Amino acid sequence: MPLAMCSFVCSDIFFLSFQVQSEDSVLLFVIAWTITEIIRYSFYTFSLLNHLPYIIKWARYTLFIVLYPMGVSGELLTIYAALPFVRQAGLYSISLPNKYNFSFDYYAFLILVMISYIPLFPQLYFHMLHQRRKVLSGTEEHKKFD
Amino acid sequence: GLQTPGVQAGLGCVLKALEQDSSTAGLGPGATRVTSGIEAWLGLVRHRLPSSTAAEFDHAAQPSSEQLCEGRSEVGAGGWQWASQPGRQSSRAGSGMDISLSMVAKEAHQGLDGLPMPMPHKVAKKHKKAVLFFEVEILDAKTREKLCFLDKVEPQATIAEIKNLFTRTHPQWYPARQSLRLDPKGKSLKDEDVLQKLPVGTTATLFFRDLGAQISWVTVFLTEYAGPLFIYLLFYFRVPFIYGHKYDFTSSRHTVVHLACICHSFHYIKRLLETLFVHRFSHGTMPLRNIFKVSILTLLALPTISTCPPQANSAALFQNCTYYWGFAAWMAYYINHPLYTPPTYGAQQVKLALTIFVICQLGNFSIHMALRDLRPAGSKTRKIPYPTKNPFTWLFLLVSCPNYTYEVGSWIGFAIMTQCVPVALFSLVGFTQMTIWAKGKHRSYLKEFRDYPPLRMPIIPFLL
Repeated sequence: MPLAMCSFVCSDIFFLSFQVQSEDSVLLFVIAWTITEIIRYSFYTFSLLNHLPYIIKWARYTLFIVLYPMGVSGELLTIYAALPFVRQAGLYSISLPNKYNFSFDYYAFLILVMISYIPLFPQLYFHMLHQRRKVLSGTEEHKKFD
Repeated sequence: GLQTPGVQAGLGCVLKALEQDSSTAGLGPGATRVTSGIEAWLGLVRHRLPSSTAAEFDHAAQPSSEQLCEGRSEVGAGGWQWASQPGRQSSRAGSGMDISLSMVAKEAHQGLDGLPMPMPHKVAKKHKKAVLFFEVEILDAKTREKLCFLDKVEPQATIAEIKNLFTRTHPQWYPARQSLRLDPKGKSLKDEDVLQKLPVGTTATLFFRDLGAQISWVTVFLTEYAGPLFIYLLFYFRVPFIYGHKYDFTSSRHTVVHLACICHSFHYIKRLLETLFVHRFSHGTMPLRNIFKVSILTLLALPTISTCPPQANSAALFQNCTYYWGFAAWMAYYINHPLYTPPTYGAQQVKLALTIFVICQLGNFSIHMALRDLRPAGSKTRKIPYPTKNPFTWLFLLVSCPNYTYEVGSWIGFAIMTQCVPVALFSLVGFTQMTIWAKGKHRSYLKEFRDYPPLRMPIIPFLL
């Protein structure tokens, strides 16, 4: 799920106007997601090798607390910054009348995406917090008995 | 219809699976006892009971077969069939059932090859008091919390009766929304299962799962189909606040728009009428687990016999309504838009598409009638559907589920007629879902019938 969101935003930025690419918010979410992904893939790699250092596991399940909201706000700000350009250029939009009787308004679509963050973000965030409690407290007990 | 091949497939499946189960080594005595007990019971049901009662047991067999064989009875966009027991609801829970059950109980006891059964030695007749009373404790399947304790339960008490007793202590969980099972992760027990036939000691532990608010089938289908009908007309008549104010209540100047409205409305009216008069719904509680992946009406039905009218889960209803109504609104918006562009090839295209649509609608209806006639009310035979004198049914030669084929055809016709991308997308989504259903049905046909015509494909002749 976060992967889907991330790829959406990344492709969004790629396709979005050039004007947006130098915004600060871009830097914000790029940093956040970069760090997250590095940790996440190290986690997977080490897990496959059955040799997972606790620090990686800890990082994965703790740093998200800061990085996740950082990434999301970066994305939202970027989309918000891009909106006027999308409106102006009519980017990826098709309007009636046309022979396929279809219309798509990218501007409205982006607004819908932004609104969808409101229910989705808390769900994912609390899910991650719940996972954290499960995973890290389990390990701590192990460590106590070692 | 589904009633015939699905249930027969199911029953055959159950027996085959059980044969395999009991022949494999390493099963504990409890499991073997269960399987041979159930096997004996099912075998007897099939062969010895009067056909009318047996038909209901067929439905009883369907849930387990559904889960064993991953075949499904689903609602197709083209409609579906359930065996009906019109007017039998009231008599089902009555004496006929009890007598046959005690008959089965006696014979099952003999049919078990000497394996001990948890049954009082004295086979209780209907009016004599049982020597041994059972106790039933009901635990929540997830939390294992003790919800209810019933003492002095008659051994011949059915699950339905236990559900009624449970409702007394927890009135918010009416029987239709109760799922009682022997194992928290196991299958639901059927309403007509008898307590003493279950592999339990004299204190039975049952696990309870709440199936959610239940709604009757008729409500489900009427809501799902009446919605699109009504919504489309809102757009057709250009009700205010949809298009600009200057277009309120205006009428399109294109003939094809009027035709499209007629076709769309006809389709949903036909479906409503079929729901009311053609399709046979098996009565009973239907806890639906909505497999709403492709966001179409997919219902995994687990019919169990009870005196309750057919039920459906309200969450499933909501999702399915969202799908049908949402798509209807989306399509209707573009077709009835003031800036609508008629098809590129003009009247020719419209005529051709309309012909396709009408032929497929007639075909779809013919198939529904043929499937309904395949199994008259009360009989329990399951048969392979074959072509009849009606030319539309000749598609049975090539396809297992021609009702889905015709349904897809109708929507393709509609898409060509309106030359509208949302309609094409709707057809595509519908096609995907119906293909999944058709493949499942085809698979269960093949499992059930050795002599199934090999030429037939699930939904598209020769291809799919």
